[in-house]
Amino acid sequence: MRIRLGAIAALAVAAWLLPYQLNSYAMHVVNVMLLYAILSVGLGLCMGIAGQINLAQVAFFGVGAYATAVLTVKEGMGFWTAAVLALLATAAIGLVVGTPALRVQSHYLGIVTLGLALAFTNWVTNSTLAGGAEGIPGIPRPTLPGVDLSSDYLFYYVELALFAVTLVFGLFVVHTSLGRRMRAMRDDSLAAGAVGVEVPALRMTAFLLASVYGGVAGVLYSGLIGYVAPETFSIANMFLLLAMVIIGGRQSLVGCVIGAISLALVREVLIDYPTYAQVAYGTVVVLTVVFAPTGLAGLPVRLRGLLHRRTTATASSGLTPFRPYDPAGTTGEPDAPMLAVRDLSMHFRGVKALTEVSLEVPAGQIRGIVGPNGSGKTTLFNVVSGLYRPTAGRVVLDGRDVTAARPFALAHAGIARTFQNLRLFSALSVRDNVLVALDPTRASGTWRYLVLPVGVWRRDRALRREADALLDRFGLAAFADNLPTALPYGIQRRVEIARAMAARPRLLLLDEPAAGLNGDEVRQLCDIVRSIRDFGVTVVVIEHNMGMVMSLCDHVTVFAHGAIIADGPPAEVAISPEVIEAYLGESMAMPAPVASEVQG
Amino acid sequence: MQVFLQTFIGGMSLGAIYALVAMGFSLVYRTMGLVNFAHGSVVMIGAYIASTFYLSVKLPFALAMAVAIGVTGLIGIIIERVLRPLENKDFDLMLIGTIGFGIVLEALAIIIWGATGRAVPSPVPAAPIDLGGLRIRTYDLVVLAIAAAATALLVYFLQRTKRGAAMQAVAMDHQAATAVGIHVGRSNAMAFMIGAGLAALAGGLVGPLLYVSPAMGGLLGIKGFAGAILGGFGSIPGAILGGLGIGVIDSFAAGQFQGYSELVTFLIFTVIIMIRPTGIFGERTVNRA
Amino acid sequence: MTDALEVDGLSVRYGGVTAARDVSFTIQPGQSLGIIGANGAGKTSTLKALMGLVPRTVRSVRFGDQDLTRVPGRDMVRHGIGYVPEGRHVFPGLPVEKNLLLGAYTRRWKGATLDTLDEVYELFPILREMRGRLAGALSGGQQQMLAIGRALMSAPRLMLLDEPSMGLSPKLVSDIVGVLKKLNERGLSMLLVEQNAQLTFEVTTECLVMENGAVAMTGTSESLRQNPQVRKIYLGL
Repeated sequence: MRIRLGAIAALAVAAWLLPYQLNSYAMHVVNVMLLYAILSVGLGLCMGIAGQINLAQVAFFGVGAYATAVLTVKEGMGFWTAAVLALLATAAIGLVVGTPALRVQSHYLGIVTLGLALAFTNWVTNSTLAGGAEGIPGIPRPTLPGVDLSSDYLFYYVELALFAVTLVFGLFVVHTSLGRRMRAMRDDSLAAGAVGVEVPALRMTAFLLASVYGGVAGVLYSGLIGYVAPETFSIANMFLLLAMVIIGGRQSLVGCVIGAISLALVREVLIDYPTYAQVAYGTVVVLTVVFAPTGLAGLPVRLRGLLHRRTTATASSGLTPFRPYDPAGTTGEPDAPMLAVRDLSMHFRGVKALTEVSLEVPAGQIRGIVGPNGSGKTTLFNVVSGLYRPTAGRVVLDGRDVTAARPFALAHAGIARTFQNLRLFSALSVRDNVLVALDPTRASGTWRYLVLPVGVWRRDRALRREADALLDRFGLAAFADNLPTALPYGIQRRVEIARAMAARPRLLLLDEPAAGLNGDEVRQLCDIVRSIRDFGVTVVVIEHNMGMVMSLCDHVTVFAHGAIIADGPPAEVAISPEVIEAYLGESMAMPAPVASEVQG
Repeated sequence: MQVFLQTFIGGMSLGAIYALVAMGFSLVYRTMGLVNFAHGSVVMIGAYIASTFYLSVKLPFALAMAVAIGVTGLIGIIIERVLRPLENKDFDLMLIGTIGFGIVLEALAIIIWGATGRAVPSPVPAAPIDLGGLRIRTYDLVVLAIAAAATALLVYFLQRTKRGAAMQAVAMDHQAATAVGIHVGRSNAMAFMIGAGLAALAGGLVGPLLYVSPAMGGLLGIKGFAGAILGGFGSIPGAILGGLGIGVIDSFAAGQFQGYSELVTFLIFTVIIMIRPTGIFGERTVNRA
Repeated sequence: MTDALEVDGLSVRYGGVTAARDVSFTIQPGQSLGIIGANGAGKTSTLKALMGLVPRTVRSVRFGDQDLTRVPGRDMVRHGIGYVPEGRHVFPGLPVEKNLLLGAYTRRWKGATLDTLDEVYELFPILREMRGRLAGALSGGQQQMLAIGRALMSAPRLMLLDEPSMGLSPKLVSDIVGVLKKLNERGLSMLLVEQNAQLTFEVTTECLVMENGAVAMTGTSESLRQNPQVRKIYLGL
């Protein structure tokens, strides 16, 4: 920490003294470089942190620059008034460009944003308002009382200050609640929704952030250069920007800055050979995605990973026993149904995964759901947790109809779940995985970042303590800072349950929690699930491990072919002919001396 | 009505080019789940090679095209081989990797052929045919005919040949395809090669229609991709309809809004995608938890 | 039809989990061997690994006098081994007949192959009726028949079947049993992986019972049918 502070101080001093070492041309180059750095940080937030492909960043840059130009030159406004209005305009455009992200992702989003960026260049090239292909010259230099900004040297300090503010704000976002939820959404939007992250609102926030950063850079650009023209905001420059972010390391804002500065330097060195520079950075982009997908910023971690590969393998030694919850009486009347499913059907293009299924789970019960593969168990979970919209039927949670609600709304209403094939946020530490679910912050509370950053910080520290307490309860304290993918499978399973419990659910859905666990781990799992129930949480568990189902569950529902074929206490269900037939085949049901064996 | 038809026909020939580009996108996406953002640049390279061999080496137009198809096919194989480690893994990284290839190809084109473009004369007589008041350029007919023939060949290959069937099988289920004895890697490389060949065909054909320049790839690629998505990404008939659709939208937008045609085209495209993300022939995919 | 399959020391690991541990068995020419066990016991992993579709470690795989230890998955079919994957995995966007022909990818699509196609159609008349339909539009049972038919198209000497009963109604399951018995009587060796023990006992002569990735028991199907231990593994009693 001290080394880091020292390094930051040294960098700050160096940045402060830099102009004294440079001639006026070099100063100008550095000024442009800083703009690219701001743009890259914005793009990094949107693409690297929130995972939203954004090929319109250069258009945001352009909107900011052009709006300033039009407002000062054509409307005769003062620079700073125009700057504020330009930022608002960019933010509005950012929201418009982000809207498609609500419907499409990945390459679809890529082409849509790229198309909109092209639409922007097309507009400025043709519009008389924007000066057509010639652009708008004669933008006045901004003035500050007491500082002569007409000098590139002094303008540098304005840029430097704004760059520092935007970078620090970006880092603040990344390392607190908002950024954590964005990263969770990037790693696995399905799981993020299931722990209560409002995915649509956060996608819009990502584009809003990117556009504001673009706007800041644009305003500064028009003030610095005094002239805007379409080619500055071309697709080629968009790709250059992209290369900066990828080469630097899109998941680290500092990496984005390093990428921006180094590529800008390379471009400057090869300024007489621009096409060779282009070949070079294109090649580096390809090599980066294939060999170092985390970019320059990720290299130290990767190198360390190579050196210390052995230490992670023995990590399981840190697992401590689960500390049971304090038993609490069930909330509400004991026999009121926590979950009621009525006549639920789910069809996929003619395939009937569920047919008129009805079941009720009383509060405080551990309900087992068993059945052969493909009998509709996981589909039931997916409908209840809001991933699928049912073809027909209703889902009622504690007396409230929640059919077809969005996953995050269901998470807020008290449903938590785990997934059959583990869906942990792979690039988030174990603590952060838990924090995302623990975090009650809503997207509507994002304004606090602007008004009350200290409050956000305090709240985050409190949450962190809470997360550590929870990890401690689950015996995972030793792994708080590990990435989940580096942990043994059994521990990952436990992390997923801890994450589900962090959301303080009333109903917990476990999808094959024992899959891949050894006998000892299964016993620990049973203890954990019982304690969770005693804590007042209703549990529904899909499981193939029949031994576990028999000993753990109060009540078992058996599925076959998308319908319920048996329902009752485990001992009864196990000897029902329908179940034996479903599992073992017809004639095995005939000799039934098992009845006496199950009494015990 | 006359104007409407004239605009429509005007949109068809560029639309046919977009359709060829879109087919390349869709074929590659369908067989290996890769979105090749370098596709536009491959089109541009194809245009340059075809025009070079046609204008400088004085080969017949058709032969020049064949050379272009061969060279770009090779480029396709190289791109596929380099990005193979990312296949079926990280979609976004792969996408960015192909963008990187696009940057390189564009720069190489500038190094080889210079930054200024060139005009390619039409290989057929320029006098337009008059058809009941509609004026149709003969070269437009050539473009449409070649595009139709290429489509027919591709469909024949996919529907009627063993390798074509195998290529589709790989796309649908690569493990099952392996189990019946198909070499998945080889099949993918071939798909990529055909995709690049289609790009070269589009590039060679578009030469006499537009101005051949290093920057042409970007726009052609984006519009071709838009066409592919409009029709339903991965579907061959969708690519044809989508490509023609973008061409026609373009043509009408140019008629109505002159310089703002691109703005209008992409706004329309965005709205359509938001209403129907899966396109015309797109398959609904089910989210699996 | 004189080849025996000998598998020695087959293990599969995914990430940190061992899905199958040191599994060995032999299938005599014309024999049908079953692997049963509860879900997650490692049956499917064993089969996929044998087929070379997932990374594995194995001491040796021999089929008759051929050494298949280092043969990649795509070439197994060229050595006479057909594979019916779990969950059918037909090529959904291709017509039924194209699916079947792809099963004969390693053969020429004429002459003897067309005779095999006729045989498959005779075995499953419904497939002949549906020959022009897309495989994705078939019912679960028909897809299962198609998957078996596709494997037969390579004219295999040994067929690996992974849970052919999955998701099928009892009537369809008994149809499938009939077909498998018929094929076995014609001399086709079989390795049948199943959750449905009853079906397996009916089709096979010998079985392995897997539990937690390892072979827990072996025996003739007759003896295992009576064994209370099997019941216990299945129902967790």
